[in-house]
Amino acid sequence: MSRTASVRWATASVVRTLRNELPTTRIASRAFQSKSAPSPCPHSASPQPLSQRTLPPAPRPQHLHLRDRHFSSTARSQKYKTVEQAESRYRSGPFSWAAGVLFLLSGAGLIVYFRYEKARMERKRIAEATKGIGKPKVGGSFKLVDQDGRPFADERLRGKYALVYFGFTHCPDICPEELDKMAIMIDKVKETSGNVMRPIFITCDPARDTPEVLKRYLREFHPDIIGLTGTWEDIKSVCKAYRVYFSTPADVKPGQDYLVDHSIYFYLMGKLRTSGTPGVNHPSWPPPGPIVESKGSRLHADPEGDFVEAIGRNFSPDQAARVINNHIKDWRGTLDKN
Amino acid sequence: MGWFSSEPQAPAAPQASSDGAFIAPDRTSRAACWESRDAFFQCLDRNNILDAVKDKQLADQHCGKEDVEFGKNCASSWVQYFKKRRVVEYKKDQTLKQLQAEGAKPLPEGVALPGPGSGAR
Repeated sequence: MSRTASVRWATASVVRTLRNELPTTRIASRAFQSKSAPSPCPHSASPQPLSQRTLPPAPRPQHLHLRDRHFSSTARSQKYKTVEQAESRYRSGPFSWAAGVLFLLSGAGLIVYFRYEKARMERKRIAEATKGIGKPKVGGSFKLVDQDGRPFADERLRGKYALVYFGFTHCPDICPEELDKMAIMIDKVKETSGNVMRPIFITCDPARDTPEVLKRYLREFHPDIIGLTGTWEDIKSVCKAYRVYFSTPADVKPGQDYLVDHSIYFYLMGKLRTSGTPGVNHPSWPPPGPIVESKGSRLHADPEGDFVEAIGRNFSPDQAARVINNHIKDWRGTLDKN
Repeated sequence: MGWFSSEPQAPAAPQASSDGAFIAPDRTSRAACWESRDAFFQCLDRNNILDAVKDKQLADQHCGKEDVEFGKNCASSWVQYFKKRRVVEYKKDQTLKQLQAEGAKPLPEGVALPGPGSGAR
């Protein structure tokens, strides 16, 4: 091992060390540079042989540190053929085009992500806020009759979302308009989210809205709509459960002509009970036995199956469908898609 | 009844369903009702009549023909409803116009119901 070789080694090591130190040491670095600049740094092409480490220069306080750096930065030092290259890399500072683009991209990505999260949290807040403590504030169990005269209880709402609308068939203008909107919403939700929502029409006027009347009325709007009727008491209690204003007189004569006041909201319900083992599809609806609820799960549309959101008349069908689709998208549990 | 065949949607004879109720007006009869309602209201507009219930004499005098047609195509409960609604809608429009003149801004469309704890929005 010649003396010049060991000096060169020392020079290169010191320059490497200085690179990582404060700018005030630059002057010292330059002094070395003027000596070794004309020739390419010989050691940089290959790692230093092990034998050289045992030879002089005499041990210094930074010896260990230098040795570590020597091996860890081999790949990096190979990039620069000369000390000037290394220097100019330092003069340009930590910024480059690549870094700038990366910065902007990650910034834009974060903004998009935070906006999405904010919207999701808002929907979650609505779903949570409209849910009572323990018992749902809107909705509840009922036993009614569908437009084919078959019994239909709230159990049948399980597994899918339900879009519930209250009205009556002899409704002059608002119900037909709303049902036309409902038909558009049904198709839009189906298109985006699949067959995961049951549209339900519950009459507020059971005396006139018999199953057959409902059937003939609803088929003009959408074939999927399930029309429900029942006795005056049954309808009154379901209206009460859904907080629907109910003004139908109890004793109306057949053929009597009257109107019924009622609330005009679409209720999005999520009767999405999950069994004790999440992810298992229920073989049949309604399931035969009692269902174990997964309390405290990460599912935020309530697994007990209740009210998610009310959609008023000020929503266009597009806006309403978007609201529903977003709630469906947020749901992490199983959904009956058949 | 000769005119019956030319106006098959006349609501004078609501069809009975097999389970004892009357079939609700269908889409075509609703459209016929709305059409005659609009014709009647246009006539009221032309004659500067707002409330056809309160100013019945005036309405009969100027738009009697349209009123009869209206009554023929709509159930009487609907006729009463539409006549009252016309007044309510007018008052609503006036209030909105007044609010707008006072600088009130309408809520953006599709605003959700305020839930508990959302007062700060």
